Amino acid sequence: MDGDPELVGGLVGRCIDAATASAESVERWRRQRRTLDRLPSYLADALLRRIIQRRILLYPSWLEYNSAEEIDLKGESPVDVEWLAYLGAFRHLRRLNLANCRAVNNSAIWYLSGMNNLKELDLSRCSKITDAGINHVLTIQNLEKLHVSETGLTSNGVVLLSSLQNLNLLDLGGISITNEALCSLQVLTNLEYLDLWGSKISNRGVPVLEMFPKLSFLNIAWTEVTELPYLPSITCLNMSNCTICSIFYGKGSTSAPLLKLFGLGATFVDADKLFSIIDTSHVTYLDVSSSSICNLHFLVKMDMIEHLDVSFCGITDDSVEYIAKAGKGLKFLNASNSKLTSQGICVLAGNVINLETLYLSNTSVDDVALSYIALMPSLRIVDLSRTKIKGFAYESQDNLEKTFPLSLLQNLSHLESLNLEDTLVEDEALLPLVFLKQLRCLYLKSDLLSDVSLHILSPLSSLAYLGFRNAVLSNSGLLLFVPPKALHTLDLRGCWLLTENVFSSFCKLHPQIELRHELAGTVPIDENVSAGSTSLHKTYLTSEVRSEGSDGCFVAIIFINSSFACINNKLHDLKKLPKELKTKLGLGLGPTELRVE
Amino acid sequence: METGEENTRKEETVKLISAEGFEFVIDKKAAMVSQTIRNMLTSPGGFAETQHGQVTFPEISTPILEKICQYFYWSLEYSSGKETEFHIEPEITLELMMAANYLHT
Repeated sequence: MDGDPELVGGLVGRCIDAATASAESVERWRRQRRTLDRLPSYLADALLRRIIQRRILLYPSWLEYNSAEEIDLKGESPVDVEWLAYLGAFRHLRRLNLANCRAVNNSAIWYLSGMNNLKELDLSRCSKITDAGINHVLTIQNLEKLHVSETGLTSNGVVLLSSLQNLNLLDLGGISITNEALCSLQVLTNLEYLDLWGSKISNRGVPVLEMFPKLSFLNIAWTEVTELPYLPSITCLNMSNCTICSIFYGKGSTSAPLLKLFGLGATFVDADKLFSIIDTSHVTYLDVSSSSICNLHFLVKMDMIEHLDVSFCGITDDSVEYIAKAGKGLKFLNASNSKLTSQGICVLAGNVINLETLYLSNTSVDDVALSYIALMPSLRIVDLSRTKIKGFAYESQDNLEKTFPLSLLQNLSHLESLNLEDTLVEDEALLPLVFLKQLRCLYLKSDLLSDVSLHILSPLSSLAYLGFRNAVLSNSGLLLFVPPKALHTLDLRGCWLLTENVFSSFCKLHPQIELRHELAGTVPIDENVSAGSTSLHKTYLTSEVRSEGSDGCFVAIIFINSSFACINNKLHDLKKLPKELKTKLGLGLGPTELRVE
Repeated sequence: METGEENTRKEETVKLISAEGFEFVIDKKAAMVSQTIRNMLTSPGGFAETQHGQVTFPEISTPILEKICQYFYWSLEYSSGKETEFHIEPEITLELMMAANYLHT
């Protein structure tokens, strides 16, 4: 977990391990005040991070005398006034993350007053913090980054923030700020990142954005803004769930090209006209899933596009030629829940040679498409769940000899993840998968599968995650399964034939494997599950989109789309989502429901 | 004859001196586990340390330096496949961590 490789292994790593082995271990060194004071800050940070991760910090008084510069307490529910009283004494602290600490209130953040080394403060979703509390934050004059999204702040409190002249990042997501309040922030000329999703900003208020000469990231999702004036420094714009008439009208001189555009769930009044105004030649990232867009003509000008999400848009095979034309640099394509068929994939083949990720979940794609997919040599992740893939075909109408088109995937030498959930694939069709030696994740979910399929998969030596759900798997079938060496998670949810006692036997045989099943105790959820369940694959990037430079680290928030059947399926998973994710899911529900806890 | 023997012995060992002046004579091979000591002993610049084969650590106390030396030997054994645990008492973790950090161990 620790980012610094030097802290893992070696004697330093062993010391950190020993120091944080248990609450008792901490108790035995925590009073060594002088030593703690001399500790280099990155060691202090690492030590503290580990204590927090391991949840062995029983009393906040343990936080005394620490030279840490960064503290991340995100989502730690016990964090309250008492904790903040100790944190206030951390004179070296530069970065403090208290996001989702529900107990943090106005009097708690009083202790942060005047912490002049503090540059970055995250109070997101600390809903007890109101306008009264913001006065304490104002005393931290050197603050550069402030997150107060989804707190109890109102326009009155936001107006006060204008005195924090050093701010370059301000996250006000989910606060109902008025045009007037935004106007008062125009003195913050250092702002580079401004998040205003869910605010009451309207077309009347947005011209004030021209006053921020450095603004490169702007999020005005879930607002009533329909027309955005030309903002020359914007490189990343999020107008999800807005009705978009025009972007960047009254064009002036360019200082930075638009690189990323988010229009999830947006209603485009006239997409062709809109995109003809914007300079899209540098756009690398476009997400218009669930939007009203139904033809992709505008892609013609986007030569640099790398990431394209057109899922839930109702695009048809006619649009594919535009993707193919723009496709040289394309690395990510999500066309799930669209009207694409195998003919469309045929047009793509040969044109998207750099494509690494392809989502075709819930489309009419069938076995014919496999031969075209096999012509996309860079593919690493392929999602064909809920498609018409059968995995076998007859050679011709007269010749009833079976062929197994999944074998074509052997051409994809980089393929790491394959999703065939809810397809018509049967046991024998899976045989060719044995040759996908580099496959790390495989998702299967079908009652057409039995013991045989599971046993076929044994030789997949790189396989780390195997989803084998809803299959007709017997106790003996599971016990006879020789798991691949690398396997660490086996998801057997919905395998109804299995009985409780088989899990303990299996775990004894293979202690390194985490089993998931309704009867196997708690089922923790992790990124693998969400990656597999692509019916859930709707990224809602509102407050969570970080500006460029941190591409890899923004959190994709999962959102369930139209299909109610699908929602029922996934409710089970959702129950186990961490609190924070649930809040984010709330974002997808509509602005009126944002506050519903 | 005798001087020659002494020379080879000197070549193979190094002397590590703690803050209080205690001297630990250990195999050079073991001391090389520390990247910092390795650099001191092998740098071509002709450090005093390189010539005399001894290094003084005014910041490291005797019990900590002793533990460090134990770690050097344990580390050699561990890398040659002997799987034992290296126990660290919680009381000394902070001091030891700082010393290990300095020694790049």
